[in-house]
Amino acid sequence: MIKTKKITLEEPVLIEALQQRKAIGAEALYDMYSASLLGVIFKIVADREIAEDVLQETLVKIWNSIHQYDATKGRLFTWMVNVARNLAIDKLRSKDFRNHSKNQDIENHVNAIDEQRNTTYRPELLGVKDLVEKLKPEQKKIVELVYFQGYTHVEVSNELEIPLGTVKTRLRMGIMELRKYFK
Amino acid sequence: MEDIKTYIESGVLELYVLGDLTPEERLKVEEMASLYPEVKVELAEIEKTLGELADSYAIEPSENLRDNFLSKLSFNDEENNTLASVPFIENDQQNTLANTNTKDNIIPLNNAKLNFYKYSFAACFALLIISVAALFVLYNNLQESKEQLAVLQSSNQDYANQVNYLDKKVESTNEILSVYTNPDYKMVELKGTANSPESKMLVAFNPKEQKVMIDMKNMSMPAHDENHQYQLWALVDGKPVDLGVFDGVSTETVMKKMKAIDKAQAFAVTLEPKGGSINPTLEKMMVMGAI
Repeated sequence: MIKTKKITLEEPVLIEALQQRKAIGAEALYDMYSASLLGVIFKIVADREIAEDVLQETLVKIWNSIHQYDATKGRLFTWMVNVARNLAIDKLRSKDFRNHSKNQDIENHVNAIDEQRNTTYRPELLGVKDLVEKLKPEQKKIVELVYFQGYTHVEVSNELEIPLGTVKTRLRMGIMELRKYFK
Repeated sequence: MEDIKTYIESGVLELYVLGDLTPEERLKVEEMASLYPEVKVELAEIEKTLGELADSYAIEPSENLRDNFLSKLSFNDEENNTLASVPFIENDQQNTLANTNTKDNIIPLNNAKLNFYKYSFAACFALLIISVAALFVLYNNLQESKEQLAVLQSSNQDYANQVNYLDKKVESTNEILSVYTNPDYKMVELKGTANSPESKMLVAFNPKEQKVMIDMKNMSMPAHDENHQYQLWALVDGKPVDLGVFDGVSTETVMKKMKAIDKAQAFAVTLEPKGGSINPTLEKMMVMGAI
């Protein structure tokens, strides 16, 4: 199938279109963000099929709860990624998902992630397979637990038996580290 | 200012962006952001970084997902309302919908083929109808021509017959003329006897060529039944000589040639049984005439 031209809108225009429930808003939402959101979801659930299901769920939820988004409190994308992360993590923890992944042993899991990834790495990130991998182990652990597994910083603190303040600082340092790659 | 820097470095802003704060903590951050531009800038910076991180994992979704997603929504603008006819569907149905859409994505290729066949079939069918119609018209014309031909042929036949008839008529007329205009022929008028006073006929006698003809056309003799015939006799030196039989009504020839004789004093006709007799039945003499 020949890909139709993707629709891109300025963020305020997109938000308005979504709020007014216009078709162009839904199309732009999909064209602009589906790939990035799917990437984050896939990183969490590590299963292409499930990831796409969750992406659908995410997009529908964004569409239905756009009124909850407050532009004064942050970027639209940040809000959408958090919706996606929350749904993906819910899925990860659901009984459904555990049944599904029972058959996949953990060893293969990592390979499966690499294989299933039809990634569209952006040129400026070529050679950067997974930026989180580049972090120091103690930062990486916390970023992964918080960002990809949905742990709260309190839970991380309990799990790893490190003080709350240290969790927060390491998370910050990790993100600061990532910032370098995007300069 | 030192406090703000410590606040920023505490990592609470990261937690805010990641959505890992209680509502009260969130309000606090938002308050700080509205008070201190540094906080706002830092928040934007963290958002940007985490956004880039998310982007770096980007994967292109399956092709059918887009339509699938759009089909689940209902829009406020008119033209896309049909697209969003199903606002809420159970999970199972969603899957079937996804399947349908997957198929939908494949159809355009087949459609072109299908359309080609469709149009080809339509064209063939149209051609067939036109051919049948043309054939029908031609067949009708052919039938008409055949009829006309038959009519022409029959009228042609009529003409031919007429010509033949006229030919014969001319021939017989010529024959009569040749007899009447030939000075060698003696015309003998036979008059009715007591048996048949009204009767009369003409006999042309050519002693030179020993020819005896009777004029069938100008003959006026009573009709006889089919068992009898008239017989012509010549009286030669008082004796009757048979000159042959003839029917009272004949259209065959105009001048009938009878048996040859070189001389005669008179002619007479009697009614005899069919085929004629050796001797004339004098009681049945119908006409008679002397030369």
